[in-house]
Amino acid sequence: MRIKVLPMGSTLILNVRIYLKSFKSFTIMTQSQLLPSARFFCTRDPKLGGREVDRRNRVQSVKPVRIKNNSIRRQEDEMDPRGMSSALQQRPSFLKSVFAAGTAKRTAEMLRRKSSLVAEEEEQDEEGPEQRATRRAEKMQPPDRPLSAAEWKKLKESQGNSPRFDIQMMGSLFTCGAQLDIAKSLLTFVAMETGTLSYELLLRYLTLCVRGGHDSEVFDVYDIMRANFPTLDTGASSLFIKSFSRTARWREAIGILHEVKKVLTPSPRNYGNVIAAAVLHSDNTTAWALYDELIQNELSPLQETWEYLFKGASKMRGKEGAGISQTEQQERLLGILMDMRNNQIYPQLSLASTIKTWFESRTEQKWTGSWTSITPKGVCRCCGSDLESIQLTAEEYQQLKDRVMADIIQGQDVFNKTTPEELQRFKVFVQRKPAFDVVVDGLNVANVNNDKSKQSETLLAVVSELQRQGLTILVLGRKHMLRPSKSWQKQNMNLIQQKAHCFFTDNISEDDPFLLYATLHSGNHCLFVSRDLMRDHKACLPDGAARRLFFKWQRGHQLVVDGWVAAGRKVRFQSIPSYDTIVQTSGDSWHIPYDDTEDRSTYEVPQRWLCLTKKD
Amino acid sequence: DVLQTNTDKSEEEEKLDVDRWKSIMRSQAPFEEKQVNDKVETSGDGDNQKEQGDDFKHASSPLEAMRDLVVMWRQAGRLVPQEIREEQLQELSKLTTKSSRKKYLKYLAIKEGHKLALKDKQQRKRAEREAATLKKTDDEEEGDDQRQLKNTFFLQFWSRSLDKLLAWRSAQAMTFGQPLVFDMSYDSSMARREIENTVSQLMEVEGWNRRATEPFHLHFCNLQPDGPYMKELLKRYGAETWDRLHITSTHHQHVDLFPQQQLVYLTADSPNVLRTFDHSKVYIIGALVDRSVHSGLSLANAKRLRLATARLPLDEFLDWETGGKNLTLDQMIRIMLTIKDTGKWEEALKFVPKRKHDGFYQQVTNT
Repeated sequence: MRIKVLPMGSTLILNVRIYLKSFKSFTIMTQSQLLPSARFFCTRDPKLGGREVDRRNRVQSVKPVRIKNNSIRRQEDEMDPRGMSSALQQRPSFLKSVFAAGTAKRTAEMLRRKSSLVAEEEEQDEEGPEQRATRRAEKMQPPDRPLSAAEWKKLKESQGNSPRFDIQMMGSLFTCGAQLDIAKSLLTFVAMETGTLSYELLLRYLTLCVRGGHDSEVFDVYDIMRANFPTLDTGASSLFIKSFSRTARWREAIGILHEVKKVLTPSPRNYGNVIAAAVLHSDNTTAWALYDELIQNELSPLQETWEYLFKGASKMRGKEGAGISQTEQQERLLGILMDMRNNQIYPQLSLASTIKTWFESRTEQKWTGSWTSITPKGVCRCCGSDLESIQLTAEEYQQLKDRVMADIIQGQDVFNKTTPEELQRFKVFVQRKPAFDVVVDGLNVANVNNDKSKQSETLLAVVSELQRQGLTILVLGRKHMLRPSKSWQKQNMNLIQQKAHCFFTDNISEDDPFLLYATLHSGNHCLFVSRDLMRDHKACLPDGAARRLFFKWQRGHQLVVDGWVAAGRKVRFQSIPSYDTIVQTSGDSWHIPYDDTEDRSTYEVPQRWLCLTKKD
Repeated sequence: DVLQTNTDKSEEEEKLDVDRWKSIMRSQAPFEEKQVNDKVETSGDGDNQKEQGDDFKHASSPLEAMRDLVVMWRQAGRLVPQEIREEQLQELSKLTTKSSRKKYLKYLAIKEGHKLALKDKQQRKRAEREAATLKKTDDEEEGDDQRQLKNTFFLQFWSRSLDKLLAWRSAQAMTFGQPLVFDMSYDSSMARREIENTVSQLMEVEGWNRRATEPFHLHFCNLQPDGPYMKELLKRYGAETWDRLHITSTHHQHVDLFPQQQLVYLTADSPNVLRTFDHSKVYIIGALVDRSVHSGLSLANAKRLRLATARLPLDEFLDWETGGKNLTLDQMIRIMLTIKDTGKWEEALKFVPKRKHDGFYQQVTNT
């Protein structure tokens, strides 16, 4: 699981480690011990105190958790026998979280590298489509110049006189990006031979025109298709919308969009094209009206569409806006940012830079934007302000607890995951015990080792480590773990039961729901240990809002064992971020996480931020 | 050189008529008139009021617009049916998402394709038969006496005679046979298509059972008289045939009919493996096709009723490759019939689809 530190980050990371150690150590260290860039953080030190107070005021109820959270991290650092020198080799803690963007991809790549067998398979796979492509090309080699009807006829005959020759040829002309005249000559040949052209052939020709950007030709095709066929299908409509939106006849695209609406909901791309056209022609009223319609249809807009809206606003600045006032426009754009926040959407790099440009072009207020990252303590490296806490509010917490009970554990049928008796037994058990600090998924943790036969040892190692930190532990398992076997040794299990409270479910029951329930029941300070990403349980939740809430809680409360557990090696946990990765504002500043890489999985969050601050 | 001049010549030609297709298409445009009318209307001409009304009506009916779209999709080369009935159109417009509509149209198109292929085949067969009879009459005229009465011991064995024999057997099974229960309590967790599929499979089940040397006594338990299962069964069998079937169908639960210790619920999610077939047990099979993601439905059911559960020893005997461990109902009945007759899993598990596994394990496990 050791992952190479990016070279650019290495000095920065060292600083972060030092910074992390604790504030006290700063005072002990002399200046000479610190690297020049570390001093940078030192100078900011006085500010930190103020911020701490700030935070305490803001999230009072959550305070105990943070201490707990930190205590684990601090103890981890203090007990590290290798001391400072090893800090360099360690991965930086802000990259360590399972939910950090790219973790899944890196892990997958590492696993692939481990098994060379798979790599060979992949090579074979890569060969497949290429061969297929060449075979198709051989079969249908498009000409490199316009042919006369006689030549087309000859070509058609040489290729078996297939009845779909015209369609296939148009397809291959499209794939090789041929000149328009070649396609035209093909159409002329077909029209002369059969006296007409099929809708499908014209549609393919249209695709070729739209991709090649021949918009004036598209107008002709539009007139012809309108004249020859009763209506258009959705494919043709989309193509016309796209093409018309690029030209001065863009208003006709709105008409086509309305036509599509009669039967189907237009796609976000259809809307996006027309909105882009409206913005391009400075018709903001239309653009926003269409945007509202898009939202009303419960579609999620493409990032491009947002980009156009922001770009349009920065371009319009200073000029007289058509129909919509500057302030209204501003309100609406900030509304988009709030939509991103509510739906947990992260902008791509290009959109993020458009947002930055827009903020910086605001004339009535001076805004500065910069690209930055966040310290593990949730402080923006650029402006030094605190980010929103990852902890849920009391209301959100209660809501989540109810949802998890109703939808994940009971669901439609209690018997799916457990039995009513077992659930009752567990509820009584949890109520009788004190609130737990940490809940361990026994079976999941037991498998975090290289040697599958040492399951009970692994579990014992993790439990002992947690016990050493003075935590109240609950270990969840299944009844089969109590039956002595090679992997589940009796003495280990006895030791575990001495160190922790244990609950064993039936062998056919699921243990994860119990884990979630016990953790949520114990309160906001309680963490759980598991490597499971809980995606199947998240999927049981009925709506997006509940799922986002669950994910936020999960990021703030899931402890993951770092690397493998092996004999003689200290058990370490990956860090839990203290801040929430979400678009956020404090009025004077905006913090927007963005994607700068392609390798973020859906259950991961970006690590890069855009920091926007207002100067007075 | 000759080639060069050729290309030159053709290029000259091309320059002239590369856009000729446009004039051809324009000259034959059938909808041009309407287009013109539209334009006139938009400019506000009162004379075309009536036509405008017609147009408006045509476009405003969502069903008609949907029909037009299906026609255009057909022309665009998408997989949609050639003809669509009114009720299918209504079904289509009830669907909410674009993808569900596409899926439904694809289903209709495939169904239509099968129907057409069948019709085609029937026509061909008929033609062949006619040709054969024609030939036969010719032959008869030549060698008349050869076709005369044959001296046989049996009357011709009609399929009616077979039906009688099988009915006799299944009647016996209803009196003395081992019960096999199909649990019909899943109608609420299935979509219409899934229920249709389930009923098709149940019909196969009844067919295979009837033809077995020693049939089971089939029980359709939990069958609600006005539920969707019943409706579909009556639609497919016809009321008369349904009444004559030699099975026990009841709205009672299986736990009400048999002692609980005797019941074993067969489900792929069970932790217990069915090693030997017990002739004194009553096995229950869930009449369920689950295309949805909800798993563990029948196990939950068995847990609720505190029944013993078991799964087939698929992993023990087969080198499993792909596909779910849940088998179709007709595969299940054939496996159950075979294991009942022979007691050999190797024989019984031959009915597991071949695509799902890579053969039997060589070392024979003791059963």
